[in-house]
Amino acid sequence: MKQWQAQNLLSQARSFFWAIPAVVWQILLLYIPLVFVLLHSFVDTESQFTLAHYAALFDATHFIILARSLALAATTAIICLIVAYPVAYFLSFYVSRLKNVLLFFLIIPFWTSLLVQLYAWFTILDKHGFLNIILQKLGILGEPYHLLNTPFAVYLVSIYCYIPFMIMPIYSILEKLDIRLREASLDLGATRWETFMRVTVPLSMPGIKTGFFLVFIPAFGEFVIPVLLGGGKQLYVGSLITHYFLVSRSSGLGAAFTWLSSMILIISTVVMQWLFVRVIMPRKTKRVGYEITK
Amino acid sequence: MRSIRLENVTKSYDGDIVIENLSLTIPSGKFFALLGPSGSGKTSLLRLIAGFETADSGSIFLGNEEITHMPIHKRNINTVFQNYALFPHMDVFDNVAYGLTIRRIPKDIVEQKVVKILKAVDLEKQIYKSIHQLSGGQQQRVALARAIITEPDVLLLDEPLAALDLKLREKMLIELIELQDTLKTTFVYVTHDQFEALTVADYMAIMNHDGVIEQIGTPKEIYEFPTSSFVAQFVGTTNLFSGAIKDGAFEVQDLGLLQAVIPDKGWAIEGAQALMSVRPEKIEISKSKLEGFTNEFQGKVEAIVYHGRSTQYNVRLANGMLLQVFEQNEEHFPHEVIDYDDMVYLYWQKENVVMLER
Repeated sequence: MKQWQAQNLLSQARSFFWAIPAVVWQILLLYIPLVFVLLHSFVDTESQFTLAHYAALFDATHFIILARSLALAATTAIICLIVAYPVAYFLSFYVSRLKNVLLFFLIIPFWTSLLVQLYAWFTILDKHGFLNIILQKLGILGEPYHLLNTPFAVYLVSIYCYIPFMIMPIYSILEKLDIRLREASLDLGATRWETFMRVTVPLSMPGIKTGFFLVFIPAFGEFVIPVLLGGGKQLYVGSLITHYFLVSRSSGLGAAFTWLSSMILIISTVVMQWLFVRVIMPRKTKRVGYEITK
Repeated sequence: MRSIRLENVTKSYDGDIVIENLSLTIPSGKFFALLGPSGSGKTSLLRLIAGFETADSGSIFLGNEEITHMPIHKRNINTVFQNYALFPHMDVFDNVAYGLTIRRIPKDIVEQKVVKILKAVDLEKQIYKSIHQLSGGQQQRVALARAIITEPDVLLLDEPLAALDLKLREKMLIELIELQDTLKTTFVYVTHDQFEALTVADYMAIMNHDGVIEQIGTPKEIYEFPTSSFVAQFVGTTNLFSGAIKDGAFEVQDLGLLQAVIPDKGWAIEGAQALMSVRPEKIEISKSKLEGFTNEFQGKVEAIVYHGRSTQYNVRLANGMLLQVFEQNEEHFPHEVIDYDDMVYLYWQKENVVMLER
């Protein structure tokens, strides 16, 4: 082995060294438990191999719950995107002096316990709460309306909780976007809207993608918000898994359902990744097919 | 192909006036260079014409049409940016086609035009490459092709060659001249590099540090007949004598009377303070006595800088002034070798110097 090869190996080994704590952490706290969950899903109460848990998954309720969580995750991600993009756009292009102050306000909720945030929503959404009072005063509502313990509350608060996760990655991309690219587009005859659609949005796609997954994936497994603000009336993936493990003590079925929902999450992530790359990202114009003469 | 006319244009940023009450006509179909030091406001002027900025007061005309407040995308004026500003998410084809795609031109016509223009700038083999795969010179040409494909009335070039090395820059300058000759589009070329400006321009304007245009003319007029000491010093190299006009000649302290052609201008009266600009290459240097020159001085060689095609001598005159002299290196073995500390004669003709107001 030549000297430089040895040095190369050494430097690779060195950089791996710094990754060891993270790798050990992941293996101990994520992969090993996951394997346990997988094993558990094939074992019955007498510790015999069984496929019964997976057979039991084929039940309409399970699929309705999966669909409900998918709908919550997708809707939350899409609405977060629609709301967050203009905020990120405004922050990166139109604010200069107050930028840090506004970013600070965005981050404050991160420092507050989730439970505190959720209980704050109680006082807003309550029948005699803030929102109802305002709507009544404005004459929009006659009778106070039940907002708590409804799917509406679950959706609204999910969107509220996840919006910073959408703003941050989009903001960080837009912030770095070369203003001259947008100027070049305008200069070549594009309107502001065309420039936005053809230059700004495609170039901020990495941020959109990151934000989308940062919202979609945790929102799919969300269980605190449905329990607290949905009153646990409707089960979501997260709440059902909690139910199987902690309430009904049918952990075998819970393990099987955990694996099924993980698979569905992975598949939908891959599908969305494909959509981003194949359908949304490419902006190549159709070509008649000019052949390069060699 | 249309002219650009600015009338009393003023522009300031946060109270800092960059351009004040500036009027300028850029002739139609010509290669026009705007030369000025960094921070002289020449890029601001370009951005006003392109529409990226709006003038605080004054008007801008494209031909006879006023465009002062016209949105950028409606002006038939395109820009080649200093850093090229190519769209990184598109390949060469889509970058060049951008202006046509925006105008909803049928796809087959777009393709024909893109191929044609890429052939013209010698990039047809790169047509489907991504921007990152191109060299600096190739990116420069893509930016150029993208800007001219929509046949703008005016093409603005903002220090377009600043990022290229010297050889490539000289080559691109020639290509730009040829391109302008073919297209007959009005080119406005902004640069701080006098060599580039002198090379490409049909006409050029010199801007000073305060954003004021000091002189407009052909490169030859600017170089040979500067009208201010700023222009004389900024374009090329020069030796400036300060003194006073006396008896149809020029009196410099400790040097005596210098023969000069006193211009027929209002300021050039008897006794007026003035400057005399003598270009280094207009001066003849020799160790022996020569006949037939109107001005003759003696001095001591203090420094010799060999430039290849010419040699620069720094000569100290009797009044303590250091004079720069360029001499062509015409022979391998010069009949007369000038060395450090040699006493030399310096000669020039009074017709070859310029008198300037002080």
